[in-house]
Amino acid sequence: MCRYQQKWNIDLKLRPFFLSGIMQGADNRPPGMVPAKATYMGKDLKRLTDMYQVPFKLPSNPAEVMFIKGSINAGRFLTAVDMNCDQYLEELTRQLFLRIYYRDEDITEPASLMSAAAKAGIPEDLAKQLLSTIKDQAVKDRLRQNTQAALDHGAFGSPTIVAHVDGKPQMFFGSDRMELMAHMLGEKWYGPLPELAKAKM
Amino acid sequence: MAALRSRKVVELFYDVISPYSWVAFEVLCRYQTRWNIDLQLRPFFIGGVFKETGNKPPALLAAKYTYAQHDLRRLADFYKIPVKMPPMERLMRRENVNSNRLLTAVTLDCPEHLENLSRELWMRVMARDQDITEPASLETAATAAGIPSDTTPQLLSRIRDDDVKAALKDTTNQALAYGAFGAPTIVAHIEGTPVMIWGSDRFPLLAHLLGERWEGPLREMAKY
Repeated sequence: MCRYQQKWNIDLKLRPFFLSGIMQGADNRPPGMVPAKATYMGKDLKRLTDMYQVPFKLPSNPAEVMFIKGSINAGRFLTAVDMNCDQYLEELTRQLFLRIYYRDEDITEPASLMSAAAKAGIPEDLAKQLLSTIKDQAVKDRLRQNTQAALDHGAFGSPTIVAHVDGKPQMFFGSDRMELMAHMLGEKWYGPLPELAKAKM
Repeated sequence: MAALRSRKVVELFYDVISPYSWVAFEVLCRYQTRWNIDLQLRPFFIGGVFKETGNKPPALLAAKYTYAQHDLRRLADFYKIPVKMPPMERLMRRENVNSNRLLTAVTLDCPEHLENLSRELWMRVMARDQDITEPASLETAATAAGIPSDTTPQLLSRIRDDDVKAALKDTTNQALAYGAFGAPTIVAHIEGTPVMIWGSDRFPLLAHLLGERWEGPLREMAKY
């Protein structure tokens, strides 16, 4: 989507939400809890990220990363950035993804979040100040609102993309409806566009 | 002079009660004339796959069922395939296995009719919301698919034969051995390695792995 916001006549709005909240709200389970799906996901992600040229490596303990450690602090930190200085939201998101899904690093501890913020170009004082707000009610509420908004669109997983076409919201689940979305937006699908990649190894 | 490249085998494991299997089936039928592939149709039994893997039919989750209804409407338009999510009662009928047994009998006895009969069964259950479990329904489908009417009674009786039941189970087990957990399951044999792909939304990736080009939905090749 970051690549295509340069090609398509779209206004991309990043909406960090809380996946555990989505699972709960939709009464769904993470796919990785079915062993055959977990095995498949590992292979599928490798093939897709090769094709799309996204730096990717499965963590050494994916179940721990996804089901035990989780993402509440990271989600709230992204929310705080979104509320105060959203020009950093895209790069901070990228840096957090690179931490868990490329370098097998933590995203739950304050030091981890500060490190990602630094790589995203957020001035240290600002990052520290935003980090101190992640337990504030306003930040919690905003993350909850984004999560609820996704549920109201019929979400049951991540990613959830909502394209507003002719005034109607079209919800797409997953990262594999891009060509269909292009068709509905009246745009052209050019494939992976690796030349527009911003995530570097 | 270009060397003759042997065609890459692409197996499609499908169940006619799976709407996304119909999408994959039509796309691969269109592309078998474009790509250097040998498409092999493998009707299997999704119920057996769910049982063995502990996976659940996605339709059982309300949010997924609702989403699939919208998703299939959009895909129907995009691919020009008249697919519609069937009502839950039709989706969940145990007797749906009769259709897959019939397709298995056709695979064994008269495989030249397999593509047409598969399509006709999907047309019944996905486009026209018609039954695919009763003998009369299956006979109508067989005739509509071009199977000579003097051979249909014998073909229908094969649904109860042990060798047909065993063959369906065997095909299902083959898919499970490839790591299947749902339908459709596509297995592309690339340089001696089987590559299993789930779903009907990995065609650009499949093209990339086969060294072929994805040219989109090819609506002009729709049979409707």
